[in-house]
Amino acid sequence: MMKITLPKFLFFFVLVFLAVLPEVPAEVRDTNLYWAPEVATAGGKKIDSLLNFIFYLTAAVFVLTQAVYIYYLVKYRKRPGVKAHYSHGNNKLEIIWTAIPTAIFLGLVIFSNRLWGELHSEPPADAMKIDVVSYQFGWDLRYSGADEQLGKVDVSTYSMDNKFGLVEGDQAGLDDFSSTELVIPVNRPVHLYLHSRDVIHSFYVPEFRLYQAAVPGRTIAWVWFEPIRTGNFELACSQICGAGHYNMKAPIRVVSLEEFEKWKAGKIAAKAEELQALNASLPPAKDPVASTPRNLLQNNL
Amino acid sequence: MSTSATTFVPAPAPASDPLKEEGHHPKQGFFFTYIWSLDHKMIGLQYLWTSFFFLLIGGLLAMGIRFQLAYPGMEVPLIGALLPSSVAIDGIILPGGYNMLFTMHATVMVFLVVMPLLIGGFGNYLIPLKIGAGDMAFPTLNAMSYWLYVVSGLVILSSFFVDGGAASSGWTAYAPLSSTAAYNNNTQIGQSLWCIGLFINGLSSIAGATNYVTTIVNMRAPGMTMFRLPLSVWSLFITAWLLIFAVPVLSAAAAMLFTDLNFGTTFFAAQGGQPLLWQHLFWFFGHPEVYIMILPAMGLVSEILPVFARKPIFGYKAMVWAMVAIGFLGFVVWGHHMFVSGMNLTLGAAFSVSTMIIAVPSAIKTFNWMGTVWRGSITFTTPMLFALAFVSMFVIGGLSGIFMASTPVDLFVHNTYFIVAHIHYVLFGGSLFGAFAAIYFWYPKMFGRMMNETLGKAHFFATFLFFNLTFFPMHNLGLGGMMRRIADPTVYEHLRALQPINVFVTWAAFGMGLATFIFLWNFIWSLRHGKPAGRNPWNSTTLEWTVPSPPGHGNFETTPVVYHGPYEYSVPGMKKDFLPQNEKAPEGALLEVH
Repeated sequence: MMKITLPKFLFFFVLVFLAVLPEVPAEVRDTNLYWAPEVATAGGKKIDSLLNFIFYLTAAVFVLTQAVYIYYLVKYRKRPGVKAHYSHGNNKLEIIWTAIPTAIFLGLVIFSNRLWGELHSEPPADAMKIDVVSYQFGWDLRYSGADEQLGKVDVSTYSMDNKFGLVEGDQAGLDDFSSTELVIPVNRPVHLYLHSRDVIHSFYVPEFRLYQAAVPGRTIAWVWFEPIRTGNFELACSQICGAGHYNMKAPIRVVSLEEFEKWKAGKIAAKAEELQALNASLPPAKDPVASTPRNLLQNNL
Repeated sequence: MSTSATTFVPAPAPASDPLKEEGHHPKQGFFFTYIWSLDHKMIGLQYLWTSFFFLLIGGLLAMGIRFQLAYPGMEVPLIGALLPSSVAIDGIILPGGYNMLFTMHATVMVFLVVMPLLIGGFGNYLIPLKIGAGDMAFPTLNAMSYWLYVVSGLVILSSFFVDGGAASSGWTAYAPLSSTAAYNNNTQIGQSLWCIGLFINGLSSIAGATNYVTTIVNMRAPGMTMFRLPLSVWSLFITAWLLIFAVPVLSAAAAMLFTDLNFGTTFFAAQGGQPLLWQHLFWFFGHPEVYIMILPAMGLVSEILPVFARKPIFGYKAMVWAMVAIGFLGFVVWGHHMFVSGMNLTLGAAFSVSTMIIAVPSAIKTFNWMGTVWRGSITFTTPMLFALAFVSMFVIGGLSGIFMASTPVDLFVHNTYFIVAHIHYVLFGGSLFGAFAAIYFWYPKMFGRMMNETLGKAHFFATFLFFNLTFFPMHNLGLGGMMRRIADPTVYEHLRALQPINVFVTWAAFGMGLATFIFLWNFIWSLRHGKPAGRNPWNSTTLEWTVPSPPGHGNFETTPVVYHGPYEYSVPGMKKDFLPQNEKAPEGALLEVH
């Protein structure tokens, strides 16, 4: 007879939980399995061009060097009567094969950093702001309500009752609604505020070509992207964060603007009902607060 | 060591105790010969044997990882029942247990296999022999360094059996997951043991490195100028400096992590501390560490290619300066591990520049290796095959690194299997292939017998094939969006389609694991049955080949005098095609002055 221990119980609990979890089917990959999945953001498209360029460059270098190398190995294999050539090197060659890679690498780094700067430029004014709070092992997302203003956050106040770390008394936060799936309209920039309630997690969506760590105690406010096609994806944590790391995911739906507005309206209505039930409806705030500082140079190590 | 200045052992063996062929040294008894030996050669062999033991452990952990990724949730066959309860229940690997497997796989391979094998093993064995010294500068410190390594290994392995199990936050141990036990399944004891193990291992590395630097600076034979040093000695010299500067930072970080875990300090906590501080400290060590693991392999390979191409190494000085450049630049690229960590974005861009620049010396080295085989007279022995493959595998590992060095591409491939492929091409295809080449090459010197060539070639071709079948598809998995360090890829819709690749990789990895047994069998079988080697079976030029195999206590009968550089092969005007460093060039030999 098998003894049921607590870890065993927990393990089977997780198995059963997984089995009954309602799945929003994400995009199934059936073509081109040996390359990246089809890109879904504007920035990702640019990253793909750079990635492809580096691929062709490195592939060419690899094929060329290996072809020469193998040719040498065959041609200069030991043959009777043929002595090896006595040479200690050639300074002209050294200079050539130092200069050429240096030029290529410097060119590459200039292109790379230009795109890096572009991807992290100031988000457009009409970007939709979403607060992303990661925790062991899941994601809480917060959208602004009818006032289009995200409530202010204090990262030191996360608790079971205040899972978004909202600042008490901040009017803007009252009508913010939460979600466990990331629903975003296509062709509109999305600006994320990344938070963590416990350890370092990371926001990773391969189709978005996007990875950014969320560091506890900080707000990462420089991530924005623009989805360019509709579809269902999966948000994954890609920074080891504990035993449940492998399954720390959330559904992503990129939908048409109409569908998004419908979804949002439903969420807002539900929130209003909830607020009414709490008998705590208050007027919307006037202060146009961004929930977090935008200055990229602050709060960095 | 206040009296260290007076304890330098002069290079020659004392004249009153002339050493005869096959080394007659005073009997010291079992304990002082095999356990607490002060002879650099025995210490080198101790490192070698011990790292083989850990290689088996680390390899077994890798097999566990691969099994889980191919068959998540299935019972591990054969050894499933033996796994500790923190790792698996009824033979089924737990997600937290999986985290232990990859954490310990990397920790074991980095700190207990590759470093001790290349630096401890070959460094200790070869440095005095190659520079014409009787032993290391500090023989006792050397023995202590080895035993500290053994202790660190035992401490790290013991953590599997403590309450909560082994460390499971990755070998990079990012805080606060690692620094707060409550966040990580209460693996407090395991993670603390990890800190202690690394601290002790660091002491071992620092002691060894100090010894290497002192020995190389002070104990070279007459005529052995710095630019007549074999490249393997240069590589170990630079590696030793990297260890001296990098390892203390890891030790300090591990100590801080330990106090965070156990005494309530908050160095790396979100409140009152700074999680990214850990990453900066870790990678300040961690990136030089990458070069600590590859430089010795580069040096050893640079030694082997000229012997079997019967040609001087191409561009000796360029090779030396490239390694010096790697040594310096290695300390200013650590931030490329942190482009997307939340580190300042402009700083990321700056690290991208230094990272691209450090690729240049690696490219120079590759071209010089190709220049070495150009117009050579190449024989394909097992050590040569591994050395040649090292160059190609290093090219793949180097080229794939360019993807991550480009900041925007890193946004996509960071922490995916693309990185796993990259590090294994550098660390296995690079460091371990280099180590295998070196083992086949210096085995006759170490044990007086040749390893079996047929078995050696079987080992090479099997390893080469399965290595590429294992690690190349990981590039595809990474581009497909498979994250590293996830216990079950099938929970993600987009990864489910890639599962056949995972299964394929796993079987290839099993093949690679099995190939290692050909090597071990060959290694042990040849101890007794290998062809007797003689002093210089490869017709090589460096000093270790002028003494008996294995060399006696004190190494050299008389102090060798060095007349020229280490790679004088096929010198025009000479009858034989090699000119040992301690032989004057004969009349008519047209040595090139460079």
